[in-house]
Amino acid sequence: MSFRVSRRNFMAGGATLLSLSALGNSAFAQENRLRLIWWGSQPRADRTNKVSDLFKTKNSGVAITGEFLGWADYWPRLATQVAGRNAPDVIQMDYRYIVEYARRGALAPLESYMPSKLQLDDFDPAQIEGGKVDGHFYGVSLGANSAATVINTVAFKEAGIDVPTNKTTWEEFGKIGAEITKAGKRKGYFGFADGSGGEPLFENYLRQRGKALYTTDSKIAFGAEDASEWFDMWAKFREAGACVTPDIQALYKDTIDTSPLTVGKAACDYAHSNQFVGYQAMVKDKLMLSNYMRIKPDSKGGHYRKPSMFFSVSAQSKAIDQAVDYVNFFVKNPDAAKILDVERGIPESKAMRDVVAGTLDETGKVPLEYVSGLGDLAGPLPPPPPTGAGEGQVVLRTISEQVAFGQLTPADAGKQLVDEITRILARG
Amino acid sequence: MTASVTAARPPSDITKRSLPATLVIHALLIAASLLMLYPLLWMVSASVRPENEIFSSTSLIPSSVDFSSYVRGWTGLDISFGRFFWNSLVISLLVVAGNVIACSLTAFAFARLRFAGRNFWFAIMLGTLMIPYHVTLIPQYVLFLDLGWVNTILPLVVPKFLASDAFFIFLMVQFFRGIPRELDEAAMMDGCSAWRIYWKIMLPLSLPVLATAAIFSFIWTWDDFFGPLIYLNDMNTYTIQLGLRTFVDSTSASDWGGLFAMSTLTLVPVFFFFLFFQRLLIEGIATTGMKR
Amino acid sequence: MTNAMRTSAGAVTVERYQGVRADGRLRRLWNANAPGYLFLLPWLIGFFGLTLGPALISLYLSFTDFDMLRAPGWVGAANYVRIATADPKFASAMSVTLTYVVLSVPFKLTFALLVALALNRGLRGLPIYRAIFYLPSLLGGSVAIAVLWRQLFASDGLVNAALSHFGIVGPSWISHPSYSIYTLVALSVWQFGSPMIIFLAGLRQIPQDMYEAASLDGASKFRQFYKITLPLLTPVIFFNAVVQTIDAFKAFTPAFIISGGTGGPINSTLFYTLYLYQEAFGNFRMGYASALAWILVVIIAIFTAFSFLTSRYWVHYDD
Repeated sequence: MSFRVSRRNFMAGGATLLSLSALGNSAFAQENRLRLIWWGSQPRADRTNKVSDLFKTKNSGVAITGEFLGWADYWPRLATQVAGRNAPDVIQMDYRYIVEYARRGALAPLESYMPSKLQLDDFDPAQIEGGKVDGHFYGVSLGANSAATVINTVAFKEAGIDVPTNKTTWEEFGKIGAEITKAGKRKGYFGFADGSGGEPLFENYLRQRGKALYTTDSKIAFGAEDASEWFDMWAKFREAGACVTPDIQALYKDTIDTSPLTVGKAACDYAHSNQFVGYQAMVKDKLMLSNYMRIKPDSKGGHYRKPSMFFSVSAQSKAIDQAVDYVNFFVKNPDAAKILDVERGIPESKAMRDVVAGTLDETGKVPLEYVSGLGDLAGPLPPPPPTGAGEGQVVLRTISEQVAFGQLTPADAGKQLVDEITRILARG
Repeated sequence: MTASVTAARPPSDITKRSLPATLVIHALLIAASLLMLYPLLWMVSASVRPENEIFSSTSLIPSSVDFSSYVRGWTGLDISFGRFFWNSLVISLLVVAGNVIACSLTAFAFARLRFAGRNFWFAIMLGTLMIPYHVTLIPQYVLFLDLGWVNTILPLVVPKFLASDAFFIFLMVQFFRGIPRELDEAAMMDGCSAWRIYWKIMLPLSLPVLATAAIFSFIWTWDDFFGPLIYLNDMNTYTIQLGLRTFVDSTSASDWGGLFAMSTLTLVPVFFFFLFFQRLLIEGIATTGMKR
Repeated sequence: MTNAMRTSAGAVTVERYQGVRADGRLRRLWNANAPGYLFLLPWLIGFFGLTLGPALISLYLSFTDFDMLRAPGWVGAANYVRIATADPKFASAMSVTLTYVVLSVPFKLTFALLVALALNRGLRGLPIYRAIFYLPSLLGGSVAIAVLWRQLFASDGLVNAALSHFGIVGPSWISHPSYSIYTLVALSVWQFGSPMIIFLAGLRQIPQDMYEAASLDGASKFRQFYKITLPLLTPVIFFNAVVQTIDAFKAFTPAFIISGGTGGPINSTLFYTLYLYQEAFGNFRMGYASALAWILVVIIAIFTAFSFLTSRYWVHYDD
């Protein structure tokens, strides 16, 4: 229905020309053919296409046409396709965007397909919650991951320093970092990356203080003093030379290839556990995963198991039933699980997790063991980020840079961060 | 005409310049060339070095040389990279034809013909150059979708045959206006039609600018990424720029070696296209000289 | 050049067309205008068929809260009011863009013209040089450029390696808020290939016999440049100036690839169209982005109109 209304309104906007639409177009609504879109690169595509072929042979010949792109290119194409009412049937979704797409009616609610078609009974219930927006279920998690510190073990060994443990506090971490920098075993090398602008790190810090980024009703859930202390802690790290200088940190663009760890500037950086394989491929030295530091030796609950990505079904799909079948096959078929491995994160289904566990290589095991070994570090899943959370992330990064480059004091920065995020949330 | 062209070579002043001056100029040009070549050298070097060394080393010389990225790049995707080359070639050549034909017709009207509303249309045409494409993208996408053109090359090619590229119209207008007016006015008084003036006088005298337009059309289409990103969904229809992007995903494992290997290869056709068409720049002057 | 003849021919034409207007008869109107409109036909079809509709829709959307996924809702001038009164990023993006325009356009054009003159004629190996000098522009906005610029302008890049010979320890130019915009200007100047080719084509169009005549009169090379090359090249200079200015106002790709789409650090490379893109595709505010776009169109149009007005004082056409 929203299709009709929207299209008509759209054209009412002065588009005399678009009345050409009488020519019609439903080139993509073919029988027994689904369109699937995801972000990733060829290794992910190989696995996905194999599962699609398997689905076709096992399910009355429903063929899947796959499209894939790198993360940055994926979102403009998806937005254009959805806006043009030409969205693929199955859409890979990110935790950050699922609210944006679901609230705007682009995704089909799937709760009515459970458990008839979607058999998610052996999923961790918290992960099913993670796919819900406003009480409706929109996204089937394809795997779990958690935020993590990626550590270059060789750099630590060279400097003669032990790698952090799951008891290490931020204060101790600062000292470790300064020692690595001082050891000077590599040219222009620092203890760790400057994480003051990293949202997962900041969120972890807030959760350990019993706060959060956002409340369930989309309000800000921390105060200026929390943020000020955060910026202050990082200012001290910077002063002590524990972390990289601001101009080096600013080279980082939230991508693996620009990470200070990858480009050989720091011994630690912060990422998500399912990116470990990607990092290891780009760095010669042996890497490992560790948790984010504790604020006090006994503080806990900063981490959480997060759906790394979802499959959602387009509300525009003319074959929602078949699309749901495909998604279920993708997360519940043992043969599919073997093909997919942990490339998209650790399977949510316990049965599939057991299938996969036996097949992993050494690098592949690292994220699995990391996430399952979080223990008291892990807490409950926060509510999906509200509309505007993406902008909030940008503001955090900008303000952290202003502190790092000396344009703001940590105290003022805390206030400004809270003000700006409050304003963004109010705008919606 | 071809015979006269070769005969009427532009006079060269190599002999006039002293030897030291020539050497100095060559030295300067070679130094500048190195600055221009650096990215190419770096890219070639990145394409043969081990994956985990690409971003951590600033040296141009790889620790070991390995051509497997080329094999992996060419065959590693679902669809051979040769297919992307072919798709890009077809689109680029069609765009060259479209731009050269349609824009020269339009530019001729603006530069040489008088008609009511000429300045108005010219201003409108320039105006189309100013709109950021990001905001017309979705309405245009809806339009092409309704025409059933999405997932074909039509949205990338047909507009060019309708002179959608104001840059080239404006470029040609400027050059046409530089061609002595007495030539076509004399022809008009002899009763030549506008078409004959365009075909017999304007085009032959405009080879330099037509070659320029051809070069730019080819290269810009070859390099274009956003149009294909939006309009081509099926990997069989991908252009090389889209193909290149599938090597890399910033959030998971990427094949940077494959990316740089194929990036290097994609430069080869454009480089030769450039070398070939720039000869027309030179022949152009010869023709002008001959006609005058 | 036969000035007298040209003037008289022009006068004849003008007279004829004025006659048509005064007369006003349909058939003569047709005779006078038909050739022009027939030549314009492909463009007119394209304009009305493909360009005008989307442009008008985007204008309409600028008065709505269109979020790309839901139907647009009319909000009147709210977007424009917000841009004018409550959007600090608008002012900052505009100032970054203006800096970029003011610095990159003159440098790029001067550089392109100098190289074009050097590569015009009289040297062996010119085709190769030209191709090499065009190489940076061939790379366009490819991923390789982003990596490369990091190799040049990061803290341990080539630029700092060179500076260290003089005892200067430079910052990471590309990621320092005070300098990052200049690395983008440098990128723009480095990709001077397109205006260079256009200058070359322009130089090629200058009739050789004019130089020969001047040489016979004993004019120096310098004088020939000022009296012949420069005046005859003005239409091309004008074209390059206008087009490069418009392009610089609309510049998107360099900032997008170098800053990874963030416009950072601290918005120092947040070009206007990058901000527009973030609003449209990052924050789902296509309505607001459309309003930003139309403000940019007006600003560019003012600049362009001004250039056209001044052009009659310095651009020499042969008509």
